[in-house]
Amino acid sequence: MCPQKRERILQTTRKIGDLIIEYFSKAWDSQAQNKPIAWITVFTPVELLRALDIYPVAPEHYGAMCSARGFILNYLEEAERRGYSQNLCSYSRCCLGYVLSGMNGIMPPPDFLVTFRNSCDVYVKWWQSLHRHLEVPLFVGEAPYVLTLEDLENYVLDYVIKQLEQLIGMAEEKFGLKFDMERLVNAVKLSDEASKLWLETLKLRKAKPCPLGGRDSASDIFPLVVMQGTEEAVKFYEELYGEVQEKVSRNEGIIENEKFRLLFDGIWPWHAFDLIKYFEDKGAVFVYEPYSEAWGYRLNPSKPLESIARKVLAMGLNIDIDLRIEKFLKHIKEFQIDGAVLFSNRSCKTWSAPQLVTAEVLNRKFEVPFLLFEADMADPRQYSEAQIKNRVDAFLEVLGEI
Amino acid sequence: MYVGIDAGASATKALVVDKEGNIVSYAIVPSGINFKLSFQKALNEALEKSNLNAKDILYTVSTGYGRALVKAESTSSEIMCISRGVKRLFPSVRTIIDVGGQDSKAIRIDKKGQVLNFVMNDKCAAGTGRFLEVMSGVLEKPIEELSKLHFKSSRPTKISSTCTVFAETEVISYISKGSKIADVIAGLHEAIAERIYNMSSIIGFEKDVVFTGGVAKNKGFVDALSRKIGLSPILPEEPQIICAYGAALAAVKKHEGF
Repeated sequence: MCPQKRERILQTTRKIGDLIIEYFSKAWDSQAQNKPIAWITVFTPVELLRALDIYPVAPEHYGAMCSARGFILNYLEEAERRGYSQNLCSYSRCCLGYVLSGMNGIMPPPDFLVTFRNSCDVYVKWWQSLHRHLEVPLFVGEAPYVLTLEDLENYVLDYVIKQLEQLIGMAEEKFGLKFDMERLVNAVKLSDEASKLWLETLKLRKAKPCPLGGRDSASDIFPLVVMQGTEEAVKFYEELYGEVQEKVSRNEGIIENEKFRLLFDGIWPWHAFDLIKYFEDKGAVFVYEPYSEAWGYRLNPSKPLESIARKVLAMGLNIDIDLRIEKFLKHIKEFQIDGAVLFSNRSCKTWSAPQLVTAEVLNRKFEVPFLLFEADMADPRQYSEAQIKNRVDAFLEVLGEI
Repeated sequence: MYVGIDAGASATKALVVDKEGNIVSYAIVPSGINFKLSFQKALNEALEKSNLNAKDILYTVSTGYGRALVKAESTSSEIMCISRGVKRLFPSVRTIIDVGGQDSKAIRIDKKGQVLNFVMNDKCAAGTGRFLEVMSGVLEKPIEELSKLHFKSSRPTKISSTCTVFAETEVISYISKGSKIADVIAGLHEAIAERIYNMSSIIGFEKDVVFTGGVAKNKGFVDALSRKIGLSPILPEEPQIICAYGAALAAVKKHEGF
């Protein structure tokens, strides 16, 4: 298959760029109207903030964006010059570098810092550092690690609900806001609708040829990162679902000559989207990523707080490794996966540490060959292109022989 | 005649086979920075040895880091080439451990010689030939001497750093504290063996195991790794040419296919 100049991408995905710009420009409008801006970590209950009329933005998303657009180094280097170690998470370094260099970008400065320690251990110290630099109110929530699914029903759940109530109380007190239950129910409804559509869209990738590739799934998560609970997010996923379903009915793949169907495990290396294209040029398409799936979480509008608390607990990496592996192993057959690409991410120890367990299960139980490569999700300096592409060549050649 | 070229990070290997896949001749030259030049040099040398010239070559397959830069009809990855070479020479092998100039790899193959899986070192020189090259420079001992000195060690020093640059500092500090060079060298072999052992454990060590790649010529390293794995490996007479041999076998196969 000959290399294509353009990236293979859906029409709907092309709209993400505008959606992001619009989202940030609304954030500035919101600030101009004296509505508080919250900087959140990505698995913070956005729906709740909507019910308080607080506008959420996520520095992690901003870091990914800076990396993808090629201007993250300014921020990383600024943080490093101020003594933040290169071994720290690159999202956190980018964010601190942004703050320390005067916040001259499209992400508006925060009035409120909100985090829940759920999927990531760096969150708390990172948000505390921001608090020291910015001196705005800080809320730190704590979500215990979910060992069994019962934890989503017992005292652990009550503990998180209590903290959500504390967050409401704190926002009302610090910013003179009024929590609105009706708004919450509406946000939960919209958020659930978007999640449902996204999860349904992902299921359509079981089709052969696969209608939606890695470059799409990497971009299309954005509305579920900070836009949950908005009409725009629902509209986006409706459109996406429609386009993908169309493609399936026309029996049309995102790449022309699908030879290998791959699983990708990890956060995407945002600065190296070229790598996805490299795979695709050789007939390999990504059909399933636990990362993409992690953004969809169904909510119950008739039990809004409880439902959000469950989401805070069970999203991302806050659940036991066995539960996580079990969840995606059942997809190996359904998605007809030929091989797995595991991205060991220097920044994200929580994600990378269990990867060898995953690899072993994949290989021993399903005889799925895997490729493990090491780099960083956002820091382009940790990426060795020639070496990684060399491995991709070997990996695909092996898959071709099996 | 058919040629396999392995344009590796530190050495370029050219190997000539006949149509039955028997080795006719080969040459190994340092890669330097000009792959095209070292390719030509290796090829000429190999052809000279067997009194052949360029027009006797029916098909060439290249592999290795510089594979796209050398003149060949087609390319193949090192993983496939090594496996192909090993399958032909040692059909009983199920696990291949290849340590080259810039990469180390562990490959699992089945009865038919098909690759089931492989792992490679992360983006770091520790656990590759480069590590030993750097250390041989630091210790001012030629790479060939490392093997000999290894067996004179009674108590290998513990090199704890996995980073080549930090390990270099560690080596210097051992030497300045009066450690014997032989002990430091044995310690370095232990360190690299440890790293390769850990990496390869992911795919396991099903018997028979073969060591290939330039570093397998270093008896000290072979000794350290064999003890870690707990079994004695098969050692090719010239471990450095297995990958080029696999490329040459691919050349035969490709040519027949036309």
